[in-house]
Amino acid sequence: MRKNAVSSALALGLLGVLAACGARAFDATKSISITTREDGSGTKSAFMDLIGLKGQSDILNVIVATGTAAVMQEVGGNPYALAYDSLGYVTSKVKKLQVDGVEVTTANIQSGAYALSRPLSVIYSTATVSASPLATSYLRFLASSDAQSIISDSGYVSVNGAATAYTAEGSLAGTLGVSGSTSLQPLMILLAARYETFQTHATVEISGGGTGTGYTNAENGVSTFGMISAEFEATKAPDCVSSVVAKDGIAVIVNPANPLTSISLGDLKNLFDNTESDSTKITTWSQLIGA
Amino acid sequence: MPISSLRYRAWREKAMKGLFFLSAAFSLLALGAIILYLFANGLPFIAKIGFFSFFFSTTWAPLATLPQYGIFSMVLATLYVTALSVAIGAGIGLLAAICLFRFVPSRFVTPLRWLIDLLAGIPSVIYGLFGLVVIVPFIRDYVSANGMGYGILSASLVLSIMILPTMVSVSYDALKAVSPLYYEGALALGASREEATFKIVLPAAKSGIFAGLVLSTGRALGETMAVIMVIGGSPQLPVSLTESVRTLTANIAMGANELTSDALSALVATGVVLFVFALILNLSFSFLRGKEGGHV
Repeated sequence: MRKNAVSSALALGLLGVLAACGARAFDATKSISITTREDGSGTKSAFMDLIGLKGQSDILNVIVATGTAAVMQEVGGNPYALAYDSLGYVTSKVKKLQVDGVEVTTANIQSGAYALSRPLSVIYSTATVSASPLATSYLRFLASSDAQSIISDSGYVSVNGAATAYTAEGSLAGTLGVSGSTSLQPLMILLAARYETFQTHATVEISGGGTGTGYTNAENGVSTFGMISAEFEATKAPDCVSSVVAKDGIAVIVNPANPLTSISLGDLKNLFDNTESDSTKITTWSQLIGA
Repeated sequence: MPISSLRYRAWREKAMKGLFFLSAAFSLLALGAIILYLFANGLPFIAKIGFFSFFFSTTWAPLATLPQYGIFSMVLATLYVTALSVAIGAGIGLLAAICLFRFVPSRFVTPLRWLIDLLAGIPSVIYGLFGLVVIVPFIRDYVSANGMGYGILSASLVLSIMILPTMVSVSYDALKAVSPLYYEGALALGASREEATFKIVLPAAKSGIFAGLVLSTGRALGETMAVIMVIGGSPQLPVSLTESVRTLTANIAMGANELTSDALSALVATGVVLFVFALILNLSFSFLRGKEGGHV
């Protein structure tokens, strides 16, 4: 027991010393420690897409954080880190940067003023949906205040502020297929579960596959709704229309000790671009803070 | 004894035999299934890509427009991390074992060994967490020249702690197995305690210690969770101790939940490479143990 107490006191002391040493003044001559997500992450592909680096592989020396919690841990603990994450997952341990002078807020994402945001939509053929009362009621549910509260609670941005509550229709029964974007999939699962509490005889089957699958499945009628996580391109599914379910904002984050408050989209692209030449590449914080 | 009781005994005998046989068969079946899965899914992929462009290419970009599946950077990173952690961990472990064996009063040996063995019971994610919140920031702020705390150094430090218990207990047992006559004989010939221990007993325990080394290497090679948290994860050629790299195990763990089709096969193929590494290690362990004559 005694030994235990002594060793825990020692351990605490050691941690205390390390923590105290950690709180040193910010040194802008240090390298920017870029943190990204693992390949296949929806947030990563959306972010790279939004800054104009779609499909590009990682820059050198990047830190790959597997999961949102790891990103928060890294940026919260490392004064020289820079990362991105879905707005809903950003905690108070880190600082959000303005992008091109625009604050990342729900309002700015709704209005489209904030650059790093994307719509998460369902697409469907109007003929199919108007012929199916079940599909029509699901669309009505997605626009309802019941859906909007789930959307906001799970960290996404609701696009329908004036929504009204969903009213169940007793006689509806059957199965609805929803497939596509894995970015929208987790939210859609929550929404479908809520919908099924209203329409107890209805089943919503959700599968992933990616935005591309969403387009083809909705166009070919494989599933009633396709999920896409980018602006709707009518050429990819000429028979379909889209309806935005929610918007997803991606925040650029740094450590609270970092004096930087804003970053331009161009600089952001420079940081994550592996084709940027060494002479123009931004590597240290002074290059961003001085400018 | 009534006949029915004898029959029952014979039946019970048979049933237990069957149970033991099933248990043995299950372990073999599990091994067979894993090997079959690895090779059936991994080898066709390696054949498709070509062994050289899979193993010796350094570009890992499974989701690029033109996907590339080169694992050589990660093979190197794995070898560096393993070598450095074994060098640190086995060095400290061996000295600790010698200390326990010769220089610690015998009444302290059992509790101390128990404490060291406790290290083996800590889940690897705890080591990873310790590395992430203590070792990585420390290296970033005080050791690293480039301000990066992640990398081979952090991973090796975490792993070296993890392999200590293996190294200490195997080496200790190997030293214990050496006949005390060697030691006493050396003393009688005028050697000091240190000389007798390091020059006579240690060489005699050599193959047991090597076995400990091989086991530690296996632990370091296969560890995933603790490594993934402190290695950084960028699949690039390692050129410095403090820079983000990725090991083979980390590569599999990072992609397993996210990647599909060809990229997933590439992960299985990575698993095949790891499996072959582990197989080589295990074979050399069996070889050493055979030479030792059953001491370890």
